[in-house]
Amino acid sequence: MTSARAWRALQRPWIARIGVVVLLLCLWEIAARWWVDPMFLSPPSHVFASLPALFETRGVPAALRVTFWELAVAFALSVVIGLVIGLAVGLQPFARKSFMPIILLLYGTPQVTILPLFILYFGIGSASKIAFGVSHGFFPIAMLIVAGVQNIKPILLTSARAMGATRWQILRHVIFPHMIPSFFAGMRLAMTGVLLGVLLAELYVSTAGIGHFTTLFTQNFDPTRLLGLISVLAAMAIVLNEIVRRAELHFSRWHTD
Amino acid sequence: MRSRSDEREGRLASRAVQAAFLIALIVLWYLAATRWGVSPLLLPNPTAVLRDFWQILRTGEFLGDLRVTLTELAAAFAIAASCGVVAGYLISRSQYRIRVFEPLFAGIYSIPIILFLPLYVLFFGLGPASKIALGATIGFFPIALNTIAGFGYVDKTLVIAARSMGASDVQLFRYVLLPAALPVMLTGVRMGFTVALLSIIGSETIASLAGLGHRIVYLAEGMEMAPMFAYIVFVVAIAGLLNMLVSTLEARGRRR
Amino acid sequence: MTGEIAIRIRGVSHQFGEEGEARHVRALRDTSLDIARGELICLIGPSGCGKSTLLNVIGGLIAPTTGAVDVFGRRVAAPVPRDIAFVFQENALFPWNTVFENVNLGMIFQGVPRAEREARAQRALEAVGLKDFAQHYPAQLSGGMRQRAALARALSLETGILLMDEPFGALDEQTRMILGEDLSVLLARADKTIVFVTHSLGEATFLADRVAVFSARPGTIKKIIAVDEPHPRRPDFVTSAKFTAIRNELYALLHDEIRKTVAESSMNAAGRPGP
Repeated sequence: MTSARAWRALQRPWIARIGVVVLLLCLWEIAARWWVDPMFLSPPSHVFASLPALFETRGVPAALRVTFWELAVAFALSVVIGLVIGLAVGLQPFARKSFMPIILLLYGTPQVTILPLFILYFGIGSASKIAFGVSHGFFPIAMLIVAGVQNIKPILLTSARAMGATRWQILRHVIFPHMIPSFFAGMRLAMTGVLLGVLLAELYVSTAGIGHFTTLFTQNFDPTRLLGLISVLAAMAIVLNEIVRRAELHFSRWHTD
Repeated sequence: MRSRSDEREGRLASRAVQAAFLIALIVLWYLAATRWGVSPLLLPNPTAVLRDFWQILRTGEFLGDLRVTLTELAAAFAIAASCGVVAGYLISRSQYRIRVFEPLFAGIYSIPIILFLPLYVLFFGLGPASKIALGATIGFFPIALNTIAGFGYVDKTLVIAARSMGASDVQLFRYVLLPAALPVMLTGVRMGFTVALLSIIGSETIASLAGLGHRIVYLAEGMEMAPMFAYIVFVVAIAGLLNMLVSTLEARGRRR
Repeated sequence: MTGEIAIRIRGVSHQFGEEGEARHVRALRDTSLDIARGELICLIGPSGCGKSTLLNVIGGLIAPTTGAVDVFGRRVAAPVPRDIAFVFQENALFPWNTVFENVNLGMIFQGVPRAEREARAQRALEAVGLKDFAQHYPAQLSGGMRQRAALARALSLETGILLMDEPFGALDEQTRMILGEDLSVLLARADKTIVFVTHSLGEATFLADRVAVFSARPGTIKKIIAVDEPHPRRPDFVTSAKFTAIRNELYALLHDEIRKTVAESSMNAAGRPGP
């Protein structure tokens, strides 16, 4: 590629972005090979090459499956619980005025302080990871559903009423469809929360999940496999986030705010 | 149509429900711990928790851990804020740079960066350095992103108007760009602070030798439930106080 | 116009809030009016004079503080979807539904049997000229087309009465002109009674059989002016001497009321009189 063509290609932002990432990877490679003690950092080429070995390490694929399962269950539970609470609080103005401040207060507390409690109550197995994930995930769904029901434009309700709609018809044909973009936005945030909750719990204590192996690789000063594992998890997080984000865009096509 | 007095009644009723809810919770806690035979290894007696809480405050035994956590927070926040604001400003100066870096930052921020904690621990050890490094890393992104948003999307009309009146670059920055960007930036700084605090407590919980997060884990492992609950309340209170402080500063900055 | 009275308004007045409260407002004062079947009457007046309130009272959306409204001989106490359809100023289309689904939904609410809905919807969309846009979402349409869709929804309900609250108020002048002419053509064919609230003198003169001019708040009908011109109104009616005369008369009646309203609102804002 001639320098002129390269320069023009660089004008497109997404190519430049890839360029930045590649540059960082090169810096990492150089630093890891020549500057930093290999006990602490491993170059990306090694990490990438050793990925198959990582997956052959006994227990790692199973741990990844367990973690993924924990994420899925925690997300599903968050959606159900968030939906139920969101509708119960959002549809009834009195319930909203009473309970929203409580929900907001709970949401604002640093849940990581009670992580040891979750482990004490739910054990060191998957249940505590799922519970901690749900505890992070259901809040945004509930809160955004409440907001979605609340900020419906009064004129839409007036219109429906003027056309003779019954309360059930208003719920089904006006409030529910209006709430859907908020619901999906909530799910996007819930995925972030569930990822955070489950992974935090895993890193804290884990016998069969990936947390077990991060501890193992750290204690054995094995940066290659540690980086490999973290990269795989980061990739999983990115994919899951992207799925929910696309779902949100698809179902909010009509949404203008 | 609801009248004023109707609304006031409604508000009182809501407050009553909230108070009743809180009281019911505490009463249930007390009954569960004392009458209903829930093991003190699961749920400590609330009076014991209260007693331990006052003792912690009185003897000042929290000071050591608090100092560790707060210094880690201060260092992490300082690094995150300075790097975030500078990087954000430099990126915001060009549309091209915004289009390159903003999605990159947003993408990285969307994954749980706490995932990299083991790496930081491997590299920096179990001491404060790893917590500061992780806190600074996580805190950097909302600050940088909001600084980009603040400076990068200043209403062009304002800039044109100022230029047409003869403003120099420095004047433009001081009287147009900075005041326009400040509200969004301050929000980002507040978010960076909150997120750094959370990540520091989190990393202290997972892998540390000192600090408030570590203290809670230590008590949990020793099954000392009452002091642990007391420390949890303490940490929640401290976090709440710090967040309120930062929010007030943010609001103050935005109003000016 | 057949002479039969479609809407009978007697002594209607309305206030919002209680005496002594901060948001107490006397919107409407002792208003009475008979609207004949098949006529198009415009309500015009300064901001806040209660014309929209009166419309909502006629439609059963608000219960008046005093007085009553009879529609086709029956007392109005709640929305009457079989007899009355509304067209609001904007944003009344459900944004998550296509144009066709919006029209359809209105009929579902009213209780039209499933078998009839499709045909009625097509007729209504064709009447307003939106046949080719049935599958579009409101966000994809211009303001004028959205109001056509809102009108189609109201027409599909096949009510005897249409209540229109500044339906063209959010549109630019050119679109208003086109929509006004099309509305006149449409109404010449249908036998509907229409109450049309507007701010625009020209619009009122062009569309109405009668124009009711409101006074400043608390509003009541100051004078009713008849526009004796058959429907459909030709576009060149706007340049005729008769049009200009009526419009001038409306202007004269309204000007002082508008000034009064502005003075009152600036007094409320500043605490002392001033423009």
